[in-house]
Amino acid sequence: MRFLPLVENEVLKLLKRRRFRVVLLILVALIGLIVFAQVKGRERFLSGKDWRVRVQERIAGMQNALRSGRMPKSAERWSRFEIARLQYHVDRNVDPDAITGPLFVRAFANASSYLLLPLLALVFGSDIVSSEFSQGTIKILLTRPVSRAAVLASKLAALALAITLMVLAGAAVAYAFGGAAFGFRGWGAPVLTGFRLTGEAFDVSTIRSLVLWKDTILVFGLAWFAALSVGALALLTSVLLRSTAAAMGTMFAALIAGTILPRVAPSWEAQKYLFVTNLPLPDYYSGSPPPIPGITVGFSVAVLSLWAAAALVAAFTVFVRRDVLA
Amino acid sequence: MADTVGQSNASSREIVLAAEGLTKTFGKRQAVSDVSFELYAGEVFGFLGPNGAGKTTTIRMLVGLARPDHGTVRIRGIDLAHDFARAMAHVGSIVESPDLYGYLTGRENLLHFARMLPDGAQGRIPELASLVALEERLDDKAETYSLGMLQRLGIAQALLGAPDLLILDEPANGLDPAGIREIRRLVRLLASDRGIAVFLSSHLLSEVEQMCDRVTIIHRGRALATGSVRELLDRSASGATRWRVRPASRAAEILREFSGEPPSVEDGETVAARIPRDRLPGAVAALANAGIEIYAVEPRASSLEEVFLEVTGGETV
Repeated sequence: MRFLPLVENEVLKLLKRRRFRVVLLILVALIGLIVFAQVKGRERFLSGKDWRVRVQERIAGMQNALRSGRMPKSAERWSRFEIARLQYHVDRNVDPDAITGPLFVRAFANASSYLLLPLLALVFGSDIVSSEFSQGTIKILLTRPVSRAAVLASKLAALALAITLMVLAGAAVAYAFGGAAFGFRGWGAPVLTGFRLTGEAFDVSTIRSLVLWKDTILVFGLAWFAALSVGALALLTSVLLRSTAAAMGTMFAALIAGTILPRVAPSWEAQKYLFVTNLPLPDYYSGSPPPIPGITVGFSVAVLSLWAAAALVAAFTVFVRRDVLA
Repeated sequence: MADTVGQSNASSREIVLAAEGLTKTFGKRQAVSDVSFELYAGEVFGFLGPNGAGKTTTIRMLVGLARPDHGTVRIRGIDLAHDFARAMAHVGSIVESPDLYGYLTGRENLLHFARMLPDGAQGRIPELASLVALEERLDDKAETYSLGMLQRLGIAQALLGAPDLLILDEPANGLDPAGIREIRRLVRLLASDRGIAVFLSSHLLSEVEQMCDRVTIIHRGRALATGSVRELLDRSASGATRWRVRPASRAAEILREFSGEPPSVEDGETVAARIPRDRLPGAVAALANAGIEIYAVEPRASSLEEVFLEVTGGETV
C-alpha cells in the first residue's frame, strides 16, 4: 500500500518547518538552564554538612511547621509524605538528595511529563492539520487518489514520530548536560521507588528497590505515553478548530487548568477522570502522592488511553466527513 | 478556431465527466440546484457565471471537497462517492488559488504530491517543469514565486498523475495579459495534443469565448444554457449582421424593410443591421433584385456577453 510515502511527506513537512528547530532549541536551552540552576542551588543547599545532618534538619523543620497548624490541607498531606520518605531513606542509609547525571535524567522525566513535554507535544499536534487549512494546501492534499482517512493516519504517524523524537532528544540532552555537571556514571545505583500514601498512612509495602537504568526507562516510557496522548488530543482540536492558534490556545488552557484545579478544589473527587489530572504519570509511578486519592499508575494509563482513543475516533470521523469550503 | 474543434470532438469521443442533478444547500440558500452536464475527452468545457453563482461550490463537489446533498459525479464511469480514490486517479485540479507549500521548493512540492500518486509520477517532473516553463526556478522556494508562476506550478502539479480530466477553477484569476495568454496556450495544447478533457470555470467572458469548445451558463445555482459557443451565439436573438454592399445608403433603405430598427451606414460600403435569421434570404434576394452589389454578409458576432445578459436577465458579470 502507498502509506509509507504519505508518512514520508508528513515527516518532511514537520522537519522543514522552523517550528521543529525552535522546539529543539527551547528544549536544549531549558534543560541547560535547569542544570545550571541546580548546580548553583546545590552549592548553597549542601553547605558542607554531612547529608544525614542535613536531612534530619529538614525533617525537624517540617514537623515543627505541621505542629504549628498553619499549613493548608494539600501541603499538609505532602509534608507528612515527605517526612516519612526522608526518614525511610535515613533509616536505610541512602542519601535522598544525591544527584548524578543518571539521577538527573530520571528526575527530568518526572518533572517534564506534567507540563513541558505536553506543551511541546501540543505545539506539533495542534498545528499538523490546521496549517494545511490556513495555508490552503488542504485542497490539493484531499484531491488525490488517497482516502481522507489515509491522509489523517499518515499525519498521526508523523506526529507520533515527532513526539518520540522529542522525548528521546530530551533524555539525551538531559544526560549530556546533567552528566557534564554531576557525572556520567551511576546507572547501576539502586533507586527506592513506589512510595505510597494510602489515606493518611504511609504505606511501605509497595516500596521496592530497582536499578536506576531500568527505572529510568520505565519512567521515560510513561512520560512518552503521556506525551502521545496529549498529541492525540491536540490532533482532535486541530481537526475541529482548523486554526493553529485556536487549537493551541484550547489545549494550553486545558493543561494550565489541570495544574490549578487540584490546588483550588482538592476535594472534588471526579476530577481524577479528567485527562490533565493524569498526565503526571511518572510521578504516580514513582510514588509521589497524587492530588486526588485513588489515582494509580494503572488508573492513569487507562484514563489517558480512553481519552486518546475517543479523541482519535472523533478526529477521524470529523475529518473524513466534513466539507472543505473555505 | 475554438468552435470547429468542438464540433469535431463532441460526438465521437467518450464521456470523461458526468455530473447529474448536483444540489447543495447551505441552510436556507440553495447554492447549486440540479446541475447536470457531460464532458468529452479532448474538449475544453467552460462553466460561466457571475461570482456567487455556484461555480466554485460545484467544482468542490466534482473533486470531493464538498458532499452533494443530491446528485452524482461520475468520472470515467466511476462514482466519486463510492470509489473516491479510483475516480480521483483520473483527475488533476486547481481549486480557487493554487495554494502550495511556501517553505518547500517547486521541486519539493511536486515530489510531495507525486508521492501520493501511483508509481511513475515522479518521473514526469522534468517534462512537466519544462512544459510550464518553470525549469529555472524549480529549486527556489515556492514563497518566492509570482502568482503566474504559482499558477503554472499548480498546473504542473495537476498533471502529475497523467489525468484524463483537468479541473481549473478561474485559472486566469489575478493574471496579467501575458499570464492569461500563457494559460490559454497551455489549456488548448493539453486538450488537443494530449486529449485531456478540461473543465474550467470563469467569470471572464472573453476568456471563455476564446478557450472553450462548449459552455454552460450558470446563474443562481442553476445551469441555464448549454451548448457550443457557436450554438449559443447563433441562438441569441440579436441577429446582428454586417453587410458589405455598394451603394451602402441605397442598400440601407432596402434593408429597412426587413429589420426592426433602422440599419446604420458605417462607411461607403458597410451597413450594420439587425435582421432575424429567417428573414435573411429574403433580404439578400431584395438587394440582388435592386441591383445592389453584394460582397459579403457577416454575422456581427454578438459576443457571449450578450448571450449571457439575455439568459440571466440582465445581471452583469
